Amino acid sequence: MWTRPPAGATLLAVLAWLGAAGCTEAPGDAALTVFVASSLTDVTADLADEWTLTSGVGVELVAGGSNHLAAQVRDGAPADVFLTADAELLDDLQHRLLANPATDQMTDRVAGRVPTVIHDLAINHLVVARPTAGPERRPADLRDPSVVLVACATGVPCGDAAAARFGDLPVDSFEPSARAVVARLALDEADLGIVYATDVAAHTGLAPAWPQEPTCPCVTYAAASLSPSGNPFVAFLTSDRARQILTEHGFVAGPPR
Amino acid sequence: MTRPPNAPRSVLVVAALAVAFLTLPVLALLQRAPWSGLVDLLRRREVVEALGVSLLISLTAAGIVLVLGTPLAWVLARVDVPFRRLVRALVVLPMVLPPVVGGTALLFALGRRGLAGQWLERWFDVTLPFTTAGAVVAATFVALPFYVVTVEGALRTTGDHLEQLASTLGASPLTVLRRVTLPRLVPAMGAGLALAWARALGEFGATITFAGNLPGRTRTLPLATFQALESDPEAAIALSLVLLAVSLAILLPTRDRWLPTR
Repeated sequence: MWTRPPAGATLLAVLAWLGAAGCTEAPGDAALTVFVASSLTDVTADLADEWTLTSGVGVELVAGGSNHLAAQVRDGAPADVFLTADAELLDDLQHRLLANPATDQMTDRVAGRVPTVIHDLAINHLVVARPTAGPERRPADLRDPSVVLVACATGVPCGDAAAARFGDLPVDSFEPSARAVVARLALDEADLGIVYATDVAAHTGLAPAWPQEPTCPCVTYAAASLSPSGNPFVAFLTSDRARQILTEHGFVAGPPR
Repeated sequence: MTRPPNAPRSVLVVAALAVAFLTLPVLALLQRAPWSGLVDLLRRREVVEALGVSLLISLTAAGIVLVLGTPLAWVLARVDVPFRRLVRALVVLPMVLPPVVGGTALLFALGRRGLAGQWLERWFDVTLPFTTAGAVVAATFVALPFYVVTVEGALRTTGDHLEQLASTLGASPLTVLRRVTLPRLVPAMGAGLALAWARALGEFGATITFAGNLPGRTRTLPLATFQALESDPEAAIALSLVLLAVSLAILLPTRDRWLPTR
């Protein structure tokens, strides 16, 4: 007969586990909170590691759909830096940007004007992808209603870019982020999905549905620092090392500065 | 209102605070509602479509809940099945599970490559993700426990004296169930069904994870609200009002019934 463990014992066990987990965590202080478009999650993790190595400042990443993150920032979320796949979202955040003028101290630190906004950090192209486990496809399959097609929803940068490039498609589900589309394909629940070139490069579960040239309409990433402590990190994003990391992940880095 | 002598003032104050805490968000929603343009907002295609999809999915789920949940509640209350406490814990699990986890689990179970889903596709050519049927499955998964818990509670509190009496008088088990148990259970069934229906109507996480998000097929009122929230906040509020109105319409007629009275 199965008997219920006493609730107190369960709670103690959970607390003990949490305590143990807390002790193993590095005592570092996550001084910088970076809100990052979900398609930039992996590359920003590398960029943040590099930044922590050189500056000693810990970074906490919050990944999500650009529009969701923008809404959270608008509602007062404590983000120091915002990396978005939709530069227009920055217009919504003008008041936060204006409240953060580059200070003299910062200017001294990075020698030159500290950029608070970079409008063309990098470019990412759209690719029609299929599960690696699935059959190869032809361009005509994109408009075949019997093929299960998933894409990002309108309002999400990857969704708006997909609509601009492909027009009206027989989509079976509008997903809230590019990562959600990747998950559908990786689980082989969809036949085709419109994702980023970097996602296809990063996931073994995904492959281009057919050979595709990088074409625009595509997605241009922008970066903005929302607090003085975010300024040096944004400045670092334009450095040669940062551009190198972006390129390694399959992004087309913006023009050198 | 007169204060009974056995109600300490402090308890009344805390209770009032709790009521205020639960009502304030609803009042805030009403205060922010774009009342002047509401009719036009409610006539929009996406609102009407989402309402239709929501009603279809939640009502179908409620029907399945009734058919599956009544026997289950009866068995849990009356039959000495082995591992009954474990079974009950498993049945109630979707109530406390985050719906997104439920949706992911459903995907692994009934998705195209899922544990059972791959056979559904191979044998019956049925795929559930991205279909209205899939959204019904998600809604049923989260709503069923609410019905079972309510009806089982009612069965336990009423006891089985009348059933035993009927058996001694020669009634067959099925007759006892049909003529004695079920008629007395109707109020609790109604209350449980109302709760389950309301839960199905508000379902979000499991639906978007398992069934996806497509207007006219799987985009229910909560999904449409979520979608509208960042692009068109006024439409989101209008959609929320529709949800609120439908939920109240379900819950008010059954007020006080979801607690087993005796």
